[in-house]
Amino acid sequence: MRQSGSAIELKQLPRLSLMARKMIRVLLVEDEKIHRVVARAAAKAAGVNDDYVLDEAENGAAAVQRVREAAAPYDLILMDKQMPVLDGHEATRRIRAMGVTTPVVAVSSDVLPADVEAFISAGADDFTPKPLSKEKLGNILAKFGLA
Amino acid sequence: MEYSNLRRQTIFMKKNLFDQGFLDEQFNQLEELQDESSPNFVEEVVDLFFKDSSRLLTNIEQAIDKYPQDFYRLDSLVHQFKGSGSSIGALRVKNECSVFKAHCNDRSLEGCRRSFQKIKREHATLKQKLESYFQLLRQVGPREHAVSSRK
Repeated sequence: MRQSGSAIELKQLPRLSLMARKMIRVLLVEDEKIHRVVARAAAKAAGVNDDYVLDEAENGAAAVQRVREAAAPYDLILMDKQMPVLDGHEATRRIRAMGVTTPVVAVSSDVLPADVEAFISAGADDFTPKPLSKEKLGNILAKFGLA
Repeated sequence: MEYSNLRRQTIFMKKNLFDQGFLDEQFNQLEELQDESSPNFVEEVVDLFFKDSSRLLTNIEQAIDKYPQDFYRLDSLVHQFKGSGSSIGALRVKNECSVFKAHCNDRSLEGCRRSFQKIKREHATLKQKLESYFQLLRQVGPREHAVSSRK
């Protein structure tokens, strides 16, 4: 059935707006599988699968490489502290040294003020204790205008 | 009805796990993440924990027996174990890991040894209790799996 020009335009409009809508890109940097599994589920529950792309890196060095080679900048980086090859502090320092201003949120079990301060000094913008939850992630996304 | 009985038993069992301090709120958070597309999510995460933790316990034991002691490595291994436990809300395990870390900080090998025995005991007890809990949950059926049962 032939449709009128306006009906076709209206039909095309939602698809075009979906294509035009920017996908929010989040990088999760975490070496332990159990934390990645929980974070993935928390991200899905917080709505990070619909308009968001969740990339993962298993250590700080992989994270720095991902950031360096990314076709488009990440909108948020969730950074673990204790990781092999390169830890979260150093990875954050190197990402900042590249001139990257993407919000970095430290996610760690070490929650003493000195631990938080060390991460902030390395260039992180915020800190949340492990494990990630739907609520914590929702708050982070809202704080950085990504919700 | 059999279903009601089983359901009551799972609720009671879970309440006990909380009341006796084996689990904390994180376990409820995991259940919140379980849905129809991942109806066994909690059990899968718990399985992951026990798989990881067995390996970590072996590594910790080897590190304790090694001479000279590397308290930095010991602390790092227990830190990992503690973090892993916190993912499933393993409260007693987590607390004993904190005690272990304090002994590492004090460079007390004897303290580490004592604490490690407690960690192993708590770990074994929690494993047994959660295995029973999930076995009961499986008997209740998929409906119970997909619905989060609050404490």
